[in-house]
Amino acid sequence: MAVNISAADRHARMPTRSGQLRRKLQDPTLQGLILLAPAVLTYAVFAFYPMIDVIQLSFMKWNGLNADKHWVGLDNYRYVLADDPVFWVAFKNTLIWTFLSVVFPPLIGFGLALGLNQNIPGRSPLRALFYMPVIIAPIAVATMWRWMFDPFFGLFNSLLSAAGWPNLIQDWLGDRNVALYSVFIGYVWEVAGFSMVLFLAGLQGVSPTLIEAARIDGAGRFQLFRYVTLPALRPTITIVLILSLINSLKAFDIVYGMTGGGPAQSTQMLAMWAYTQAMQLGDFGRGSAISVVLLLITVAIVIPYLRWTLKRHEAYQ
Amino acid sequence: MQTSRKIRRIALLSGIAMMVASAASAQEIKVWTLTFANDSANKAWADIVKEFEAANPGVTIKVEGRGTDEHKSALRVASGSDQGPDIYFMWGGLGLGGEFVKAGLSLPLDKYYAEYKWDDELLSPALSFSKQYEGGRHGVPYTFHGEALYYNKALFEKAGITTAPATYDELVADAEKLKAAGIPAITFGGTVNWHVMRLMDMILETKCGVEKHDQLMSMRVSWADEACATASFEEFHKWTSNYTLKPFMGIDQAQSFNLFLGNRAAMMLEGDWLVGQLKGENRTADFGLFAFPTGTDRLYGFAEYNYISTKSKVPDIAAKFLNYLESTDVQQKHLGDFGSISVNKNVKYTSTEPLDQKWIEIFGKFPSTFVNGDQAFPLDVTTEYFRVINEVASDNLDPKAAAAELQKFIGNRS
Repeated sequence: MAVNISAADRHARMPTRSGQLRRKLQDPTLQGLILLAPAVLTYAVFAFYPMIDVIQLSFMKWNGLNADKHWVGLDNYRYVLADDPVFWVAFKNTLIWTFLSVVFPPLIGFGLALGLNQNIPGRSPLRALFYMPVIIAPIAVATMWRWMFDPFFGLFNSLLSAAGWPNLIQDWLGDRNVALYSVFIGYVWEVAGFSMVLFLAGLQGVSPTLIEAARIDGAGRFQLFRYVTLPALRPTITIVLILSLINSLKAFDIVYGMTGGGPAQSTQMLAMWAYTQAMQLGDFGRGSAISVVLLLITVAIVIPYLRWTLKRHEAYQ
Repeated sequence: MQTSRKIRRIALLSGIAMMVASAASAQEIKVWTLTFANDSANKAWADIVKEFEAANPGVTIKVEGRGTDEHKSALRVASGSDQGPDIYFMWGGLGLGGEFVKAGLSLPLDKYYAEYKWDDELLSPALSFSKQYEGGRHGVPYTFHGEALYYNKALFEKAGITTAPATYDELVADAEKLKAAGIPAITFGGTVNWHVMRLMDMILETKCGVEKHDQLMSMRVSWADEACATASFEEFHKWTSNYTLKPFMGIDQAQSFNLFLGNRAAMMLEGDWLVGQLKGENRTADFGLFAFPTGTDRLYGFAEYNYISTKSKVPDIAAKFLNYLESTDVQQKHLGDFGSISVNKNVKYTSTEPLDQKWIEIFGKFPSTFVNGDQAFPLDVTTEYFRVINEVASDNLDPKAAAAELQKFIGNRS
């Protein structure tokens, strides 16, 4: 049977431009791209472009004041790696700091999380109390700890003196053998609460069914912890360690506030030395070269982690 | 008809008035300076700005204050744009001020020096820095500070010291007397590198003399080859080992001052501004003052300057403002707000405060000056100078090797 379609109907059924656009917009790939676009654009302008700019500057001589930038090839890297009397001290300090940062704050955070995951009185206020240092401005944390470490009027030396242990009194921030570790104590106080919160979230995800089943099978407290809780926390542990590592590599504010890199640059860190070279000494080339070295170290650590997480993701697919 | 002509005339006049007003309001001078720790300086600035604006209708002065590091960073950022200041604060000398002059951010002011006769009106030691730059006079002195030894009268008396030392050997002998009496001779804050540096600068002037000192600071001779440079580091180490209140590497200048006020050490090497701080504590009567006996005829001190930016679109009015700031009336009115001494030589001193009197005597006694290490050296060498001094002070570097260590850095500079 022949169907007569009027000209108006034919026109109505013709794909219009708005209809085509509507159909295209329903495409999940396009929707994803549209939603991502602002973030990608922002990232490109404020993160990717400066990163490329820093890499480019690391091959140049520029004082940050005039337009005269000139290409010096690898000179900045040669100077930083071979002649700079502070770079390797800062490098060593950054490594020590990083190592300590992936061990102590996560361990303390984990201990706090285990304790505060129990049904104890005052649990919520205690969680807030231990998390509070994380939200205090790092420069305020630095000032507070600097006061406590004051060799004449500070809390620690006063306590040691009152306890009758004057031989333990130290120049906490002025002795090059002690200063870095003194600053690190302040840092642990500042960041341990962050690990604690992540571990607490991880502990909420441990299946009660699994714990119950293990209990029925006769598992003790240690066995429950070793064979049920710890494996379930593996993703959280990874995240905590990676975040601690990345944060420690860019350690700046608390060291700047407590010692300014002293005494005699003995607490200097790579991120701070890059800033000093560029913003205080006006050598943007050398500052950028130090930043690039720091970037390479970070990438060398983060890429294996990303590959590892991708493999795990594929394995679960 | 006549009414409409009237209206047109009024409209035309209003238009002209608006144009004049907008042209006048365009004469805004942006001044970037430091945030002043003492409130008297902030109040003085506010007064001066208000008075200048009242005397110059249509001119607006916009003062922005920042911390030292933020100020330097802001100037760097602004150097790439037209949004920077017309007038900016920076120290005099080849170090900090010289960096900005070298980068072409400071307008040569020879024309204004001649027009306003600043050479006739301002102190010669303060003016000397404006002549150090290549390509003309740069900047106008804003303050001039000298640094000398303040001493605790009671502690000196306790150690049996009756008169201020006249020579360096007498100073060391006094330090020994204080040590024998169980009194640390001097106090410093080690976390702020420039504080301990003052002692090294003074010893270098003492051991090397004027000519060699200047050659070393301008890096025209090798630190490694000059015996007096090594001897200075050894002498410096003697002070930090034997005569300095310990521990000092973990405290800053403010903490050091509190210890000085608390009678924990006999001397402090400080600037004329300390008189104001002592007045604030009502303690001026407890302390005396003498110039560090270097044996040369130079006063240790530095000048703070205001520079006019090369990017300023209103340099004439900026210079007029600086002239107003330096003028005898303004300086007389605000004497003591920025320092013990004014940069204007016509200012009359009427204070009966003995420490103020002593400073005026010191300023009058020395015909020339030598500048602090951090203003004599370029920034990168200053940082290394600080490091070497601190390494020696914290017993981590043999003082015999210190001069060579500094020269190694200077030699590696490109």
